Amino acid sequence: MPFLRRVVWAAIACGAAVCLGAIALSRGEQISSIWLVAAAACTYLTGYRFYAKFIAARVMALDDSRATPAERLDNGHDFVPTNKWIAFGHHFAAIAGPGPLVGPVVAAQFGYLPGTLWIIIGAVLGGAVQDFVILFASMRRDGKSLGQMAREEVGKLGGFVSLVTVLMIMIVLLAVVALVVVNALAGSPWGTFTIAATMPIALFMGLYLRYWRPGKVLEVSTIGFALVLASVFGGQWIAGSSLAPVFTLSAMGVAIAIIIYGFFASALPVWLLLAPRDYLSTFVKLGVILMLAIGIFVVHPNLQMPAFTRFVDGTGPVMAGKIFPFCFITIACGAVSGFHALISSGTTPKMISSETDATQIGYGSMLLESFVAVMAMIAACSLEPGVYFAVNSPAGIVGKTAEAAVKTISGWGFPVTAQQMADMARHAGEVTLFGRTGGAPSLALGMAHIFARGGGGDAVLGFWYHFAIMFEALFILTIIDAGTRVGRFMLQDLLGHVWKPLGRTSWMPGVIGASLMVVIGWGYFLIQGVRDPLGGINSLWPLFGIANQLLAAVALSVATTILLKMRGPKYMWITCAPLLWLVIVTFAAAWQKIWSPVPRIGFLAQAAQLEASGATSAAVQAQIFNNRLDAVVCGVFMLLVAIILLDSARLWFGILRGTEDRRVAEAPFIPSRLNAEEA
Amino acid sequence: MRALRKIAAGVLELLREIGDERAYARHLAAHGTRHSAEEWRKFSDERFRAKYQRAKCC
Repeated sequence: MPFLRRVVWAAIACGAAVCLGAIALSRGEQISSIWLVAAAACTYLTGYRFYAKFIAARVMALDDSRATPAERLDNGHDFVPTNKWIAFGHHFAAIAGPGPLVGPVVAAQFGYLPGTLWIIIGAVLGGAVQDFVILFASMRRDGKSLGQMAREEVGKLGGFVSLVTVLMIMIVLLAVVALVVVNALAGSPWGTFTIAATMPIALFMGLYLRYWRPGKVLEVSTIGFALVLASVFGGQWIAGSSLAPVFTLSAMGVAIAIIIYGFFASALPVWLLLAPRDYLSTFVKLGVILMLAIGIFVVHPNLQMPAFTRFVDGTGPVMAGKIFPFCFITIACGAVSGFHALISSGTTPKMISSETDATQIGYGSMLLESFVAVMAMIAACSLEPGVYFAVNSPAGIVGKTAEAAVKTISGWGFPVTAQQMADMARHAGEVTLFGRTGGAPSLALGMAHIFARGGGGDAVLGFWYHFAIMFEALFILTIIDAGTRVGRFMLQDLLGHVWKPLGRTSWMPGVIGASLMVVIGWGYFLIQGVRDPLGGINSLWPLFGIANQLLAAVALSVATTILLKMRGPKYMWITCAPLLWLVIVTFAAAWQKIWSPVPRIGFLAQAAQLEASGATSAAVQAQIFNNRLDAVVCGVFMLLVAIILLDSARLWFGILRGTEDRRVAEAPFIPSRLNAEEA
Repeated sequence: MRALRKIAAGVLELLREIGDERAYARHLAAHGTRHSAEEWRKFSDERFRAKYQRAKCC
């Protein structure tokens, strides 16, 4: 490496150390968000240049003279050699969902520091490594899925358990993201109108693309975006008109509307609703993330939240549980997300034209997602802490009236007044901002403040708030409709073993029956969350975080097995270290969620407390049942992943002792003509 | 200026890829056919069937 380049990289590495030190050691006074941005950027650059390149060169031995599946199996559809920047953007658009936006907002209750450090360090040493190794492994196996690789490299048991785990995670994921939308739209005619308007807009786009201007996706998406913007403006008019009561729904009303929507979106032809929504939401998502990055650079707000809050002790109003292990499962996407392994072993490996591109696409995309999570943390922490807690604390914790809530929150040392909240709600175009749990409203408020400070001030706060709500709800609903459909396929796949017609995706009774079962599955958990007096997020978000991280443990087990077979024990620590950390964190969190004697943390303790209260109403009995069900779901997750881990460990010891076959199931080497031509 | 133009072209290309327009162009080239409403419907039906059998990330 030339001397000047060494100096530059040394400066970047020192910059990372200085910025991380600055945010870690700063106490008592506000710091600028630029410190977080600089710490993240310098750490990512250092991690990418040295750690990712080390893994690529020494461990994986990426070889551009080897033809990738995209080149060998090029069929013009899914196997297509693609420019690395295009593949990077495609992969990033596929992995970036609401998780890296909502998780950091919820974890901000511990202060800005723990979540930020976990996002940055977790991504560089864990999440990006997982995505990269799984992408590499799938690329060397003709784009096989995680389940197929688990079956071939670990064993049949691992493959089956992976399928069941993914289906269960989907159910919990859909419920929790739906709950985020419910809490954002309940009692908000402006927000509800805007989101309701996206349904006919998507139908119009579907018909436009199918019959009027076939193939003009960018054209129809531009029209769709203009109509969505018009609906954000229209929502303000609706909220002040006699139509406002029509669009003012209770939380239960919004939940039922989303459940009905999920069913129809799953059963209707894809081209009519799902696909046009997906195009629109992907473009809006990428645009808003870019806007937020620019907004933070221009405005660089100070972080009002302290580095640590008193809630590191586990008494947090947003989500109960101590900083360890709960901070690490609250932020899954953005640091380490098992779901990414499904993308890394799906579409992307079939697009890579040169093996070395996998570093940028697999490792680099995860770093960018981690940066999105840092931006969400900045948006949440730039709010006054009193406002943050007023928005995110459920009425069951802080009290049902504005006066009671501000008294409780100010008593925690985070001053806020009822007048301040009323003014903010008025500027945001909402009736109230108290108890808007779920993360989406406070993220939207933080984003709106950043955008409004860029120009317009309080006068445009309402527009930006509802624009941000529209952005979050739009792509969450796309996840719900696509997820319900995928869940239906998985279920039909399993049911097809019981009775063949049930497995046929063209048999209408099977389609409707399986769609109903999936919708009832996540709808049940959603209703449970809506009825939960603690806000639902307190029980559902940890369940989702545990499930997602356990899926990461499955992916890292498969990755470790492959590295062990390829290179022996020398480099297995690369995936084994994050795996060990995730196993400790997730099993500790799952154990506490089941057995903790603190009712707000332990499902069984909460059920026992409700039972001891002597209340016999149907609602309380349902809560008792739901808590026990959540405990069982959590236990099943632990059991399934423990089976995979034990199966993997058995294989690892066998390989190390020489009693197990260590041949990898890679596709044979075929020289690349694409890269030879370029050379 | 040239760099900016190159970036803008790259962004447009990415949007076309995400919007399946590039995949459609490849489909037409691979099958030696010309664009028509029927061809788009054939392509998009097949594309969406494969695309929405996979989970979307959280």
